[in-house]
Amino acid sequence: MKQILKFENVIKRYPNGVHALNGVSFEMKEGEFISVIGPSGSGKSTLLRTINKLITISEGTVVLDGEKISDKKGKALRSLRRKVGMIFQNYNLVYSLSVLQNVLHGRLGFMKGFKGIFGIYSEEDKKKALSLIKELGLEQFAYNRASDLSGGQKQRVGIARAIMQEPKLLLCDEPIASLDPSSAKTIMDLLKDMTSKRNIACIVNLHQLDVAMKYSTRIIGLSKGKIVFDDTPDKLTEEAIEKIYGTSYENLMLGGEKSEKEDSFNCA
Amino acid sequence: MKKKIPLIAHDLKKIYTIFAVVVVVLFIVCTILTNFNVMSLVSNGDAFWSFITNDFLPPKLPKASRIPGVLSSVLVTLALALSSTTIAAILAMFVALFGSEKVSPFPKLAKVVRGFATFLRNIPALVWAFILFSSLGIGTGVGFVALCITSFAFMVRAFVETMEDVSQDCVESLLTVGGTFPQRVSQAILPSCLSGFLSWFLYCVEVNIRASTIVGMVGGGGVGMTLFSYIKNFQYDIALSIILLIALMVIVVDQVTNILRKELLK
Amino acid sequence: MENVIIEKKINKKIPVKCKNKSNFIPIFMISVAILTILSLFYLNIDWVKLFSRVPDMGHVFWQLGHLDFSKIDLIFSSLLETISIAVLSLLYSLVLGIIFGMFAARNIFKIKALSIFTQSFFTFLRAVPTPVWVLLMLVCLGMGPEAGVAGLCVHTTAFFTKSFAQSFESISDETIEALEATGAGRLSIFFNAIIPTALSQIVAWAGMRLETNFSECAILGMVGAGGIGFVISSSLKGYDYGTAGVAILLVFIIAYLIERMFVRIKRSIN
Repeated sequence: MKQILKFENVIKRYPNGVHALNGVSFEMKEGEFISVIGPSGSGKSTLLRTINKLITISEGTVVLDGEKISDKKGKALRSLRRKVGMIFQNYNLVYSLSVLQNVLHGRLGFMKGFKGIFGIYSEEDKKKALSLIKELGLEQFAYNRASDLSGGQKQRVGIARAIMQEPKLLLCDEPIASLDPSSAKTIMDLLKDMTSKRNIACIVNLHQLDVAMKYSTRIIGLSKGKIVFDDTPDKLTEEAIEKIYGTSYENLMLGGEKSEKEDSFNCA
Repeated sequence: MKKKIPLIAHDLKKIYTIFAVVVVVLFIVCTILTNFNVMSLVSNGDAFWSFITNDFLPPKLPKASRIPGVLSSVLVTLALALSSTTIAAILAMFVALFGSEKVSPFPKLAKVVRGFATFLRNIPALVWAFILFSSLGIGTGVGFVALCITSFAFMVRAFVETMEDVSQDCVESLLTVGGTFPQRVSQAILPSCLSGFLSWFLYCVEVNIRASTIVGMVGGGGVGMTLFSYIKNFQYDIALSIILLIALMVIVVDQVTNILRKELLK
Repeated sequence: MENVIIEKKINKKIPVKCKNKSNFIPIFMISVAILTILSLFYLNIDWVKLFSRVPDMGHVFWQLGHLDFSKIDLIFSSLLETISIAVLSLLYSLVLGIIFGMFAARNIFKIKALSIFTQSFFTFLRAVPTPVWVLLMLVCLGMGPEAGVAGLCVHTTAFFTKSFAQSFESISDETIEALEATGAGRLSIFFNAIIPTALSQIVAWAGMRLETNFSECAILGMVGAGGIGFVISSSLKGYDYGTAGVAILLVFIIAYLIERMFVRIKRSIN
């Protein structure tokens, strides 16, 4: 299997002195489905955003598909970003545009000049977008405003937009955190299905341990900006979980006096 | 029980007390500084009232031959307000794109852009008008530029805030797609912020209707100038009917912009 | 399936935009553009002449930049006068605004005619720009701070009446009903329940108005009243650019400080 992503001793310091990532190293191969888990503030979101340089790292190297992303700029950076699709917790759609237009946004990185600016897409792209929308079960909404959709449907549009990019790697930043349990399951099933069909590697930030165990081929546990666990789901013992979250396994599963965010383990 | 039972928490009471003391001190200091005396207003009440009833009432129409001129001066004021706001809005939209760290391709310049707009905004429109009069001469064109400057600066700030509120998320998503800056602007920022921008534009039109009347008074032309000339000639009854005309103009414009704004935000 | 139908119907091009999308925004923008172009023709501005004088503008700014502090006494005293007029008019209008706001709000005295009359009267007062009122007051009262305060008060009171009435009306009828049930009178309900609830909004409105009042007050001098505006306009007219530069700079600094202060207060309230 081909290597798609490599982190080498990556450090990210914020101007306020916080070490969001503190010497993170790992490799990722094609076809892997990695879940990143860890308590709030452990650097999950930062980790994901350094991969496509939405956040610039302070030290170390990130190699994406054989190219170092840290020294890319302008055009080269954009064409490298094209290879990485991203899905967000808040969907990040343009709500005043149609579903189809939102999905077609995935093609913008391939377009030049005024065609891209005025959103004049090729018929080929449109056909592809429509069939993708159909595959995700949204065909009756293709010409609705994105704001008319429910949360789960919006996230499906987000997935379609990312797939339109024909990415090699898909980054999902807490894709189900704002969804109800049944939509969350649909979204996770779709993610797994779409990525394995198209042989797209996938990294998902999750708050829900059971979801991580069920869907991923590998789990990375982050704590205070460091990787404290990196193995297959069946190796994720209670001890390992305690090490990641800094609290006992029972506390996590029962909720108890945990903060709101950690409570969401139990919801899903 | 010597002390009264307090009704509100101690520290809250402290804040209120400090606040009240500050207000009273300010009031006294300002009154002394300006020698302002309310009683003089009251004692002059009779003279004041007779002045209003004798000189202002009833409102009198200007001479029939002057009426078309007055009406066209209202049109000048309206045209001045609308055209200056539109030009300012177009300029402000381009500049606002560079005024937000999250959107601009040159984040380091964003502070400079916003600072410049703050400078322009905090000098009142009439001061701009005077500066411009002394360099460009008196006339409608200068009134136009003066109104442009302040509404431009105001809209830069309003547009930047709208963009940061509305389109941050979708800008991020178009970044990950590999979109260029113009693509991000046209495909994410414009569609999601346009109605917000237009509603600020309408607000600015309202403000500029008043401002263009004032700029007119000092030489920018329009209905303000007409009013000023009648007041200068002591024709207060005619001035009153012009004031009523101005009020009517402002109220009508406010109503129209209100309807349009509701339609926009639907 | 729908998309298949669409593809068949329009063989050449697949549409991408929303169906039944409202045309309001494009129509609105086009009409604004047309009206603007018509306005520009109507105004008949001599652009060539205007632009040919732009280099003069640079010259004026250059001169304004040569700050001349020789008349700083005059500038400071008139600046203080301006600030005082702004503050005084704000405080007087605050009291008047609360009283008239009480009349204008529909849920306090519950006399419909009274609130409609008050509201429409103040709508008229608000529609006339402040300098016009100040000019009229100058005519009535003669030169002096009285005219400035009274003129500013007209507009500010009208503004406060409208916004306070709005704040009062946003208090739920149930609260008022509950107090009515205890047998409390209208005025005691107003001062014990409604004012405390609306207090934070009143402070916010007042802060916002202080900003406007200061800049209004700064320009009053230009239409004939005293204060910093008079210094600016007379020194500009007398080609005393250095003094005008200092005065304008001070106006900017004060306006900026008020704005920052208000942003701070707003943040701490939220």
